[in-house]
Amino acid sequence: MENAAGRRTTRKEEMSWCMLEETFHSCCQLLLQQSEQLKDGWSWESVQDSQEGFLRKTALRSLVINSSPVWDQVGSISDSRSHTSCHSWLNQPQQEKEQSLPVASNDADSITVDIVDDDDEDDGVCMVSEDSSQVLKYEYHILYSCSYSTPVLYFRAFTLEGRSLSLEEVWSSIHPNFRLRLQDSPLHTISQQEHPLLGQPFFMLHPCRTEEFMRPVMQAAQDQHRPVNYVLTWLSVVAPLVGLDVPLKYFIQLHPEVLIRNTEPN
Amino acid sequence: MCRRLAASGVFRRFSGDSRGMTASTVAGLLSSEPTAKPRQELLLPRVSYLTLVTDKVKKHFLKVIKADDVEEMWFEYEGTPLKWHYPIGVLFDLHATNTVLPWSITVHFKTFPDGDLLHCQSNSVIEAHFMSSIKEADALKHKSQVVNDMQKKDHKQLWMGLQNDKFDQFWAMNRKLMEYPTEEGGFRYIPFRIYQTMSDRPFIQKLFRPVSPEGNVHTLGNLLKEMYPSAIPNDGEPKRFQVVIHGIEPLLETPLQWLSEHLSHPDNFLHICVIPVPTD
Repeated sequence: MENAAGRRTTRKEEMSWCMLEETFHSCCQLLLQQSEQLKDGWSWESVQDSQEGFLRKTALRSLVINSSPVWDQVGSISDSRSHTSCHSWLNQPQQEKEQSLPVASNDADSITVDIVDDDDEDDGVCMVSEDSSQVLKYEYHILYSCSYSTPVLYFRAFTLEGRSLSLEEVWSSIHPNFRLRLQDSPLHTISQQEHPLLGQPFFMLHPCRTEEFMRPVMQAAQDQHRPVNYVLTWLSVVAPLVGLDVPLKYFIQLHPEVLIRNTEPN
Repeated sequence: MCRRLAASGVFRRFSGDSRGMTASTVAGLLSSEPTAKPRQELLLPRVSYLTLVTDKVKKHFLKVIKADDVEEMWFEYEGTPLKWHYPIGVLFDLHATNTVLPWSITVHFKTFPDGDLLHCQSNSVIEAHFMSSIKEADALKHKSQVVNDMQKKDHKQLWMGLQNDKFDQFWAMNRKLMEYPTEEGGFRYIPFRIYQTMSDRPFIQKLFRPVSPEGNVHTLGNLLKEMYPSAIPNDGEPKRFQVVIHGIEPLLETPLQWLSEHLSHPDNFLHICVIPVPTD
């Protein structure tokens, strides 16, 4: 059933934290305002002659990447699994119920979010391969998925000469801790997809589990009468997976008067 | 309406086509570049994917091309790289529907255009895409409840049914994805994509209900009016576009729910092509 505003109402046991498209737009505008203040580099790109658009940011990263398995001296991860793990959710639909959500704690008063300090990435890993580090240009897009009512992260990466990175290379550039988590958990997988607005190949973080990990966060925020920017909160979870920095200042520079309450189930 | 009978037409036995060829397949002529012999003529199934049905093509051309010169295979028509992850029938309707048969496709083994095409290095990539579409379609139709209740082997059966052209095997599972509570009158939202080549936007996909809140049945015309109004001429204006599904132009009065149940592709999406009316 929907009321006049077009919001979804569901029975209590079916409560799902999904985001309407207009909420996505509002959240993006707020994020943009903050990004401007923090000089974080996000911009809004609109599709010709329409309301639709997406958030975009580019960033340079200095990384060691190669297309063959990446081993560090601390712990080796079989890269032969990386091909299957990119589609691991297909093979483990029954296990997802047992998976613990990486960002929810059982304590409703606190929400733990596991974020790896990005600075460690280049320090801790000693590559046994012969490749040296190179500067790569990453491009990140945040789109709205109407099928899943959530934001979706698309990204692509190039060398400075303009060569695009393959899935294997992108996979190898993900911090080993996250690679482990991605392999074990069907919550997130990365695959190559067609960008729905631009039509070009991008890598995408699957959105089908977003609602699941956002639910406890949004529920807790509602219980505590705390306004939350859905897109920003979601971004803080997924960004570390793909080497995207989301400065903590986003979360401490909140101006209560400009925040809105997000769509909530009723 | 007898759903089972009509449903059987979707996959393969749908017949009747203004072009005079079985709507289930497209006649394709594949030649390698530089354009020269040998060439291969194939019947390509509309509902399948280029990289899934061209193993033999690859072997055929590999006989005459040096192994050193062979990288990832890709397809092109009149300068346009063909997106293997679109169903073959969609590619044909979009790019070649009003041209002389057979459809001349050029096969390439070098200079893969990675700014235009997704990589497809194995059948598991095709399977992942196919299942991803099915999952997304069910998110729209049933909030993912039906597909999530299926077991891994059921998902596999959908894929194997498509890959091995086993109609009954496929539909044993797919029929569950086509059900809906009778009191609802249809799916929650209709999985559809509208394709065109007049702009850079690859497709239009948005939320659209099969029945209005007042209980009116939405038609193909209603969908287009909402999503792509220029596809439908106003009264008195000449028709500028054809609206094509599986190579035919369904009447705009056709209920969308019916189209979704009976003219969806195996990936459970209604793929709709809007193409300019030929000028000759």
